[in-house]
Amino acid sequence: MPPLVDPTRCDGCPHEVEPPCVLVCPGDLMVLDAERKKAYCREEADCWDCMTCVKVCPRQALRTRLSYQLADVSADLRPEVAGDHITWTLVDCRGRVERFTVRTLNPEPEGSSNSPPRE
Amino acid sequence: MERVYIDTDLLIMGGGTAGCLAAWEARRVGGPNLGITILEKAYIRHSGSLAAGQNALNMYLNQGTPEDFVCYARYDLCGGPVREDILLSVAREVNETVALMEREGLPIKKRPDGRYLNRGKWNVEINGAMLKPITARMAEKAGAEIYNRVYVTNLLKQQGRCVGAVGFGVRDGRFYVVRARAVLLTAGGCAGIYRPNNAGDAHHRIWYAPFNTGASYAMAKRLGCKMVGFECRFIPIRTKDTVAPTGTLAIGMGAPMINALGKQFMKENPKWVEWGGHSAPTPIRVQAFLVETAEHRGPCYMDTTRGDPGRVAEIKEQYVDMSPSLVLYWAANDIDPSKEPVEIDVSGPYIVGAHAAMAGAWVPKEDRMTTVAGLFVAGDALGGAPSRFISGSWTDGRIAARYAVEYLRGVEFPELDPDEVRRQEEIAFAPLTRHRQATESKSVPQPGIRPREMEERMQKIMDEYAGGRTRWYWIDETHLQIARKKINHLRRNQLQYLVAEDLHELQLAWDVINRLDVCQLVIEHLLYRRETRWPGYANRSDCPERNDAEFDCFVCSVWDPETDELTMMKEPYVQLVPGDRMKQSI
Repeated sequence: MPPLVDPTRCDGCPHEVEPPCVLVCPGDLMVLDAERKKAYCREEADCWDCMTCVKVCPRQALRTRLSYQLADVSADLRPEVAGDHITWTLVDCRGRVERFTVRTLNPEPEGSSNSPPRE
Repeated sequence: MERVYIDTDLLIMGGGTAGCLAAWEARRVGGPNLGITILEKAYIRHSGSLAAGQNALNMYLNQGTPEDFVCYARYDLCGGPVREDILLSVAREVNETVALMEREGLPIKKRPDGRYLNRGKWNVEINGAMLKPITARMAEKAGAEIYNRVYVTNLLKQQGRCVGAVGFGVRDGRFYVVRARAVLLTAGGCAGIYRPNNAGDAHHRIWYAPFNTGASYAMAKRLGCKMVGFECRFIPIRTKDTVAPTGTLAIGMGAPMINALGKQFMKENPKWVEWGGHSAPTPIRVQAFLVETAEHRGPCYMDTTRGDPGRVAEIKEQYVDMSPSLVLYWAANDIDPSKEPVEIDVSGPYIVGAHAAMAGAWVPKEDRMTTVAGLFVAGDALGGAPSRFISGSWTDGRIAARYAVEYLRGVEFPELDPDEVRRQEEIAFAPLTRHRQATESKSVPQPGIRPREMEERMQKIMDEYAGGRTRWYWIDETHLQIARKKINHLRRNQLQYLVAEDLHELQLAWDVINRLDVCQLVIEHLLYRRETRWPGYANRSDCPERNDAEFDCFVCSVWDPETDELTMMKEPYVQLVPGDRMKQSI
């Protein structure tokens, strides 16, 4: 499922040491084209569709598409990441919209420290 | 090549499920001054097999005792062999580790009475989209020194002891030389040695992480560790095309497996009923699927139209937490999973140690130390102990760390052999060097082979001769001998031509090198175990029956660097929990 970069939204994250999509990809697949100042996927076939790049892009410039071998290209699934939940918007091939909000993180209980207890 | 020298007490290789919890535990028992270093080839917060998340933890004692869990794990692999000692040690602590991770922020679903929402006997449901960041934070909290984007190429051994590791920086191109008093190898399992179901630009749409390329197994093997269980190939049933997990449907929603005639063959065919019907051991359920397909009663499905309707409505929500591609697939292909059964398929084989399979390094005792002193393993890298999954791997990492810290207190800091380090540096960068020389030289002796080409040749050989999908996973001596010959040819005669154009491709080159090492393990183990113990996983057409007289034991191997051959051997099954190994206790 190759990630598609929307060139109207991607600005190459000029103020980051490394654009977040480049930073996070578990397969080292996202690259910054320094000339065009846009990110791109160096080998779409190698993508695992984990969607980490999509979730982490600060300008929501990435979206994933399934290989045509597996599915029509007519649907869309976008995550909107908040602090402790993700809201997914799904648009199917008939244009119907569904939304799912899933919790991703519990708040840390009061009084918990930031370092592990010593034995 | 510019070098980076790192000295540390405990080196953790692979910042994944087991590795991150190992770091946390090492700090807890080792104190604030313990040097803990993690080498991670990607970015620790999002790397490895947890990258997309998960929606369940598949090892948790909702009821029963650790002994009951062991009965289940050995039953699920057709009576074993399994390392009951390792499984007991994990089962004793896994619930506590899960509670710890809940306190650290992992949302675990609850029943109305406040208990964890169980999925079947041994699983709990979670909202796990952020599983990896939460796991990685444990390593960060431990104050471990984390090196991201460092690809380790080999472990170092001196006087029979593992003394560190070397590798290259994926971004900076430097050569990293790490010496350590103890090393914990937690670099995951192996996908991609067989040709995948989907071709071309969908070739990485597989179940297991395609970036887990067998480094644990290859490096342990190359260091001379005794290895185990590589004949127990994991061939899971997953959703067709997108290869997403099906436990959500089967156990979570009670959707039964059916064939194209709508028959629930697990409970209607007496052969499968005898094995336990819907709760037959995992390999048997795979075997049933293989038989239904071979006998032309496919396609097969998880029948979500007969599942619990309340749960079926939540299917999409369950799947965005770990396989959003499946949700997109349904939407794009106009499939409503609540109104039509979900088609399933097998894939792989994958080579793993913490799932319902048991490949990995052999550890003689519970301390997780391999047969090479100072080298410990946990998670998928540890062999002989199936069904630990994520929560079991967290726990395993913690246990291994305790032993590793205890061990390193008794050993001196090693002095590395500079000649060996130089040799390793050459080896690490060889594909890059070759490519540069070939492009710079005026004569072109033999064109370099790119990693993608070698990977495709390897996958084709394994598929056609070592029981891949085109042979519907069947194996036999004749084909395996051909596989052995062809894979050995690649390893002995062709790897010297492997080239890489840049640092990313150098990773791919090492992925192929490591996968080829795993291929050798798989072929030799399959040849040695002359029986069919796990129908579905390893069907030997020439030895279709189980042979307890000869093979009711672990099959192990040790690699000889001089001859590049494996010496095969057996290790006995030690039963600690009494009872019939072919039956669950609860």
